[in-house]
Amino acid sequence: MEFTPNDDQRTFLGVLDQIAAGPEAAWAVGTDWQRFQWSGALDAILDENGFFDCAAEPDLGPVAAAEMVMRLAELPVLVESAASALLRPRFAPDLPRPLAVVVGPAQAIRFLPVARSVIRVGTDAVEVAELPDPAAPVDSLFAYPMGRVPADLTWRKIAADPAEMLDAWRVAVAAELAGALQGGLTSVLAHVRDRRQFGRALGSFQAVQHRLAGAAARIEGGRLMTLRAAATGDPAEAARALGWLQNSATTIAYDLHQFMGAMGLTLEHPLHRWTYRARLLRSEMSGGTANLALAADRTWSTP
Amino acid sequence: MDFDWTDEERRFRDRVRAFLDRELPGDWAEIARHGPGSPEQTEFSLQFCPRLAEAGLLVPHWPAAWGGQDRPTWEHYILGEEMWAAGEPRGAQYMNVNWIGPTLMQYGTDAQKARYIPPMAEGRAIWCQGFSEPGAGSDLASLKTRATRDGTDYVIEGQKIWTSYAGLAETCFLLARVPGSGEGKAGIAIFLVPMDTPGIEVRSIPSLIGHGDIHEVFFTGVRVPETARFGGEGEGWSIISYALANERIGIARYELSARVLGQMVAALKAEGRFDDGAVRARAGEASAACEAARMLAYRAVDRRAKGHDVGTFANIARVAVVEADRAVSDFGMEFLPEAYSGDGDAAFLAHHERAIVAGIAAGAAEIQLDLIARRHLDLPRGTA
Repeated sequence: MEFTPNDDQRTFLGVLDQIAAGPEAAWAVGTDWQRFQWSGALDAILDENGFFDCAAEPDLGPVAAAEMVMRLAELPVLVESAASALLRPRFAPDLPRPLAVVVGPAQAIRFLPVARSVIRVGTDAVEVAELPDPAAPVDSLFAYPMGRVPADLTWRKIAADPAEMLDAWRVAVAAELAGALQGGLTSVLAHVRDRRQFGRALGSFQAVQHRLAGAAARIEGGRLMTLRAAATGDPAEAARALGWLQNSATTIAYDLHQFMGAMGLTLEHPLHRWTYRARLLRSEMSGGTANLALAADRTWSTP
Repeated sequence: MDFDWTDEERRFRDRVRAFLDRELPGDWAEIARHGPGSPEQTEFSLQFCPRLAEAGLLVPHWPAAWGGQDRPTWEHYILGEEMWAAGEPRGAQYMNVNWIGPTLMQYGTDAQKARYIPPMAEGRAIWCQGFSEPGAGSDLASLKTRATRDGTDYVIEGQKIWTSYAGLAETCFLLARVPGSGEGKAGIAIFLVPMDTPGIEVRSIPSLIGHGDIHEVFFTGVRVPETARFGGEGEGWSIISYALANERIGIARYELSARVLGQMVAALKAEGRFDDGAVRARAGEASAACEAARMLAYRAVDRRAKGHDVGTFANIARVAVVEADRAVSDFGMEFLPEAYSGDGDAAFLAHHERAIVAGIAAGAAEIQLDLIARRHLDLPRGTA
């Protein structure tokens, strides 16, 4: 057991944190009150410097990739990292990114309007297609650029096992969800430390403290399960980590908005950027209940 | 970051399991049915722990000078997981191994160490901890039991409650207030009190958590010599803080919960009920609670193994462990209620009685949440 990053991972994550504190990651309210803020500049810096390929580096590996996805998802600005860091190096290293991933029936898919390629995971095969033109955006409550898969794409099969791809995607989505929940929690913690009512900080009330402490325990537990799933590649662990975070997300998102009060209902405050990512990710791969049932199947299945 | 065991750690776990397979009797489930504080299990521990000591598996993490082998923190933790998952055949003696012994090594006089540590290392010492009182539970520093100086003696007056193992313990690790030595935490001292000292009365409290587990202990004119004081007057709180830091990660409750959950699933599968998607989802949720608790506990152990303060990581692990215990117990009661009546299932009954106490004993879960809020999340105190 080793919970501390190795030297290479520490250096990698240290540089990532510096970049994530830079001007490319700064957030602002969009003039059109958009619900998300895609940072092409941050995405480009990370891409040019090979960050999205870290899972293929022996001293960094999928654990560092999952940790990176979490840290990027904690930002109020948006980059596409989950598929690029945890699927692309292993299954389709030459595919142009950013990526969008389609699992299941046709629906609005996150990142499609900024994606250069799509991965479609079917029952029997994994297919990919490049997007010659950006997909048209779809209005959505969710804090992602959402779009539908264009009808005229040229698909090609890749040599990837769909089941393995889905297991890796569970880890990737779990990492993104853990980061989104942590980003929202961090934002609310800052608010309840400062905001005073009845002559005291909101965060001094036990009714607030206990719910936020419980949220922190759930998020951190999910975060560690996700890292272990990334490290071991265990399919039961992947389903368990994702299901746990998905089933935690509803209560946590509610509480975060509750403690942010009316300000958290505005587009001016970034809280919605995390909670409306979490609300979408909660439904990925058939949702938390299905993923926990799958974890049970995998843990106790009779061979 | 690496979440796997080393070969050496695997071998150690195998060794502990092999010992348990060999040494636990056929009727162990019945003996363990009523919990580590029951007379049956306490008496069993007096047979079992000497054999564990002979095999080098009672105090392997203790210093060699006190009968240990200076083995690593992780082995101590693996030992705790396996023992708890087996129903804690060490009974009350797990406390000696985890914190009373190490605290004696740190703060005891030479005479106290010589008297009390060897029996612990040999597996034949039963202790109880005289902490909680009717008016001092979570707010332990408000305790009122007094130890009043009288020449070279102290005379102890007061009452303790919820005291596990008191019915069979030989010695009590007692917190008492010494009049004139200070207010609040500053006035507390520790006494190592033989339980056969005149003036001590123990009454068992019938409870939901096993036979003979918890007690009231009355101290009426209990006279002990100055040599029974452990540490100085006014040093009790700092010593107990050290002791509980040693113990703070707590019992590896998730390990038993995860294994019992597996047994519950096996029972449901045997009846063809595991095909139900709702059952599988709830089983998955309970297993996730166990694994979240496991990972949070391991994060704290990792810090201790490196010599760092476990800090609030231990509080977070404790909260998650309570959730895991509850999730598994609730799963069993919802889907296998028949196991809790009649002959029932000894393993599920025993797990339930251990699980319901998880968020109450050894520090209420709400106190853990307070500590997480203030120290981990940096939220202000109640009046700020």
